[in-house]
Amino acid sequence: MLLAGMSKLLVTMSDVRLSYGRTPALDKIEMEIRQGEFLVISGPSGAGKTTLLRLIWMGDKPDSGLVDVSGFRSDRIHKRELPQLRRKIGIVFQDFRLLYSRTVFDNVALPLQVTGTANRVVQKRVIALLARMGLSHRRNSFPHELSGGEQQRVAIARAMVAHPVILLADEPTGNLDPEVSREVVDLLLEINRGGTTVVMATHDPRQVPAGKGRFLFLDGGVLRGADRWTELDEKP
Amino acid sequence: MSMIRSAVREISLNLHSKPGARLVTLLMVALAFIVFNTFLIISWNLQGLMDREESLIGMEVFLQRNISEAEGRVIGDNIGSMPDVKSVYFVSSQEAEALFRAELPGRTDLLDVMGSDFRLPTSLQVVFEREAMTQGRISDISRQISSIAGVDEAVYGEDYLPGLLKTVTTIRRLVILLGIVLVSSISMVVFYTVRLSVVRRSLTVDIMRIVGAPSWFIRIPFVLEGILMGVTGSAGGLALAALLSKVLSSAVTHRFMPFSWMTLVILLGAVTGTVGALAGSYEKER
Ligand SMILES: Nc1ncnc2c1ncn2[C@@H]1O[C@H](COP(=O)(O)OP(=O)(O)O)[C@@H](O)[C@H]1O
Ligand SMILES: [Mg+2]
Repeated sequence: MLLAGMSKLLVTMSDVRLSYGRTPALDKIEMEIRQGEFLVISGPSGAGKTTLLRLIWMGDKPDSGLVDVSGFRSDRIHKRELPQLRRKIGIVFQDFRLLYSRTVFDNVALPLQVTGTANRVVQKRVIALLARMGLSHRRNSFPHELSGGEQQRVAIARAMVAHPVILLADEPTGNLDPEVSREVVDLLLEINRGGTTVVMATHDPRQVPAGKGRFLFLDGGVLRGADRWTELDEKP
Repeated sequence: MSMIRSAVREISLNLHSKPGARLVTLLMVALAFIVFNTFLIISWNLQGLMDREESLIGMEVFLQRNISEAEGRVIGDNIGSMPDVKSVYFVSSQEAEALFRAELPGRTDLLDVMGSDFRLPTSLQVVFEREAMTQGRISDISRQISSIAGVDEAVYGEDYLPGLLKTVTTIRRLVILLGIVLVSSISMVVFYTVRLSVVRRSLTVDIMRIVGAPSWFIRIPFVLEGILMGVTGSAGGLALAALLSKVLSSAVTHRFMPFSWMTLVILLGAVTGTVGALAGSYEKER
């Protein structure tokens, strides 16, 4: 936090508006994400958290306003440049989104393979990462043979294998029981300590210990300030 | 290298998943091609018939008796430069007699009866471009030639030829029309099959997208699927048509289509498959 003032701006959203059909999913969003920070975006279901993250990885473009992610501008980016942007971003979902016909190793190797990384390098990096994540023994298993917590760790490994500058986690603990949830949050915090910017969307901000991150509260598509406890008091 | 390996695996995974829809598509493509091939075979055989009769698709132009050989050749040159005329062959009186003796050896007595002074008229054998062979055009040309000074009479041999020509022309038009219908309908069928395939594998496609796979990498399994459907469908249609042709060969004398046409049929399958698959796997954004 102390460094926040000095560190580089990674994401900027200015006057961002996006609606699906008539009702706006996001309205007048102004926000910045700085390199190295751990940002928690909380808010009830339907608040627009997923949509906000989609704007960052440019799975959607705003109807108006501007999203800038590390120099990629939503108003200028060509669809051919999207893969380049995505390679700088790791994404983790509530439902893991693993490829169920591939082994753990192949799932984690995917981001490297689709960018043509040499096989030697892929082998080395994936094996090292699986070891660090405590998944070595699961290397040749298929996702359906794993527990939810293990599947999410595989998903996080896949998101991290290409060394992204920013990790987006959309309700990463949504399908996990409390104990495993805590482990996953700890893993995200550890990744953040390693220098990767982390943005976590969750309907339950209590998952992240106070003081470990910056909290934004989203409700009805509108950002409501930064302080988590006062916001929670207002919105039980 | 790992990228290609990965792509190949994607392709095989794609092909192994849910072959049902693909089978139906394949069957449709093959059936469409059987119809098309049938018309191709009919067209090819009529063509062969035409080729055999080609010598008759011409006109015999008899010249007046007072026309010298030199004058006759000039008239021949004039006719030769008319549009739609392919060739003109000058038949001298002696040649005509030789031909007569050769073709009707039993009737040489006729020539003998006429005496040694008798000479068959010189004539011009006119062959037309095949494209010009419509009833109306032949009548036109005939009238035109008849009006040339020195021409006695213009006769064309077989009456049924213009009819045959008409049939051939009609069949050829039908083949082209059918080809267009085939190309567009097979493209559509492949388009929807590939679309379905993309939707069915939308999770994979989404994952590929979020890990930053380039668009060609995501699309190539689907495009190959389309090409494969086009090629195997057209090849299957060809094989079935060949089988049908074999079975019917004793009942109807005919030839199967030439190798170059078969290649073209497969190529048509490949092209339509590619077009359908490229369109079916196209994504506007993301
Ligand atoms: N693809 C979509 N089509 C239509 N409406 C959508 C779509 N995605 C999200 N929405 C709507 O946008 C609003 C925000 O959704 P979302 O960003 O998923 O919220 P959250 O992730 O906070 O639960 C909701 O009202 C939701 O119904
Ligand atoms: Mg959500």
